[in-house]
Amino acid sequence: MFPTILLTLMAGAVATAFFGLLDEKVGSRSKEVFSSIILAIALYMLYNLYVSVGDGVMVFTIGVGPPLAACFEVDALSVFIAACTVFLALLCTVYSARYMEHDTRLAEYYSLLLSMTAGMVGVAFAGDMFTLFVFWELMCISSYVLVAFRRERWAPVEAGFKYLIMSAIGATMILFGMSFLYGMTGTLNFAQISETLAEVDAGVWALVAFAALFVGFGIKAAVVPMHTWLPDAHPEAPSPISAMLSGMVIETGLYGFIRLLYVVFIPNAAVIDGGLATFKVTIGFFAAITMIVGNVMALLQKDIKRLLAYSSIAQIGYMLIGVAAATEFGLRGCFLHVLNHSLMKGLAFLAAGAIVHQLGTRDIDEIKGVGKRMPITMAVLTIAVLGLGGVPGTAGFISKFILFASAVGAGMPILTVLGVLNSAFSMAYYLPMLKNLVTTPTKDLSEVKEAPASMLVPMCIMAALIILIGIYPAPAVQFAHMASEAVTTKLSTYIEAIVRAILG
Amino acid sequence: MLATFVYLMFTFALLFIGLYCVSAKRNMIRMLFGVEILLNAANLCFITLASRWIPYVDMLGQAVVIMSIIIGGCVIAVGLAMIINVYKHYKTLDVRELRRLRW
Repeated sequence: MFPTILLTLMAGAVATAFFGLLDEKVGSRSKEVFSSIILAIALYMLYNLYVSVGDGVMVFTIGVGPPLAACFEVDALSVFIAACTVFLALLCTVYSARYMEHDTRLAEYYSLLLSMTAGMVGVAFAGDMFTLFVFWELMCISSYVLVAFRRERWAPVEAGFKYLIMSAIGATMILFGMSFLYGMTGTLNFAQISETLAEVDAGVWALVAFAALFVGFGIKAAVVPMHTWLPDAHPEAPSPISAMLSGMVIETGLYGFIRLLYVVFIPNAAVIDGGLATFKVTIGFFAAITMIVGNVMALLQKDIKRLLAYSSIAQIGYMLIGVAAATEFGLRGCFLHVLNHSLMKGLAFLAAGAIVHQLGTRDIDEIKGVGKRMPITMAVLTIAVLGLGGVPGTAGFISKFILFASAVGAGMPILTVLGVLNSAFSMAYYLPMLKNLVTTPTKDLSEVKEAPASMLVPMCIMAALIILIGIYPAPAVQFAHMASEAVTTKLSTYIEAIVRAILG
Repeated sequence: MLATFVYLMFTFALLFIGLYCVSAKRNMIRMLFGVEILLNAANLCFITLASRWIPYVDMLGQAVVIMSIIIGGCVIAVGLAMIINVYKHYKTLDVRELRRLRW
């Protein structure tokens, strides 16, 4: 059967549309309240799932069972990714209530937000490639529409079309990679592929499948040669959607890649041409250019949301360091950075959105002196941006420290050097932005007011969490540690769970 | 085995035709054709590899293809809706005009 959390989210997505109809008739605001409640329930269910899964694996079968039908396989890593997603979605929904109040077609907006969340949770829970692909496309299609949501302006439509074409090519590449793995092993289940791949004479085809999957997931994760859609799509989406896209959607691409790499390819690296070194060198190379290009391009930006979008590309580069390290420690840093990035970049986009909402411009030079009129927004934006820069005392420092340390442990000190240099370099564009917020205003700002409370509360929660993880990182590191163990040291549990499910 | 090889070659040919179509065509609707060709190439690849184990044809690959055709239809529908909106703003279907967002 389906995991109840997925059923809740998908039923919620449909029901929200009907609440939207009710709102049009009566003029109430039930759809905002309803979708927030659905996400809060989903978060509670996820906590229950976290308790029952622990560091083991739960298999949800549909119909006849794993070898012939779709299944969900939930381990600590799936719960980790789903928890980040649902938490961010809840905060963004609460924030949207006031931010989007002047827009029309809000029933579709909340419905799509819920179905996008359902898609991401489904990708995190998927136990075979069929399920992964279906939920992947649920996430993608919802996000295409959400990027182009403000269709009365030209920029979102243009960005949405570019995003659609790039992302559709990515989905085809994933399908291609899936078909090669399927052709070699005769099954779609991750665990079964992992078991059978060693026995077949894969030869070069395993590398072809790896390349196709890397391109497919890499387009979604905005790894550098495939990143061109991101700096258009993320700034043009409404700010809560930018926060979701930058915070979790690109990380879902990274998650899909990590799941396949660590379950299918790395355990069988001995039988693949070139062995483990092929994967490490390839991913390390892309990590380096992703960091460098993301940071250099961010430095050139005049648009606050576009700057943050390029900074997301750089952060993906840092996360890839942990993937390239191919150790449990590296992945721990990677997943901790996914959690921290979802908080920090989410908060940065929400705070920037609050400023854009008041000022009506995204130009960095135009926001001079806004901090005096919007003190709380400025404070949370400062926390988010310092966290992104990796200043000690914020969450970003902890995860970047683990990431850079892991590269040394994996014998790739060049990545550590590049990472530290990039991290320092990134302050070159974060600090001028913060300086602009507090300098003397160049124009009359008496119209500008502090954001309303329902926008400030989600931002303050995220800012508090960033500081909390920075000062007391042990619980978050432990959570990330469980997630990374699930695909490295405890991978045999994941594979045995499927074997047991097949035997009944 | 030879038949599988021939079909796979056709799949790769379709893949390159699709990639060429997406990257070289200027009409947005033709670009969507390219995406559709790419999807069909991937579907064909699945069908080919599903019938690799003679004497039976694996149903798993075919199930994926049916689902992927449905999903492909959804993506194309969203794409066409977006093209209508682009046309409203730009009054053209030429993708080279979509260059106002830079850097």
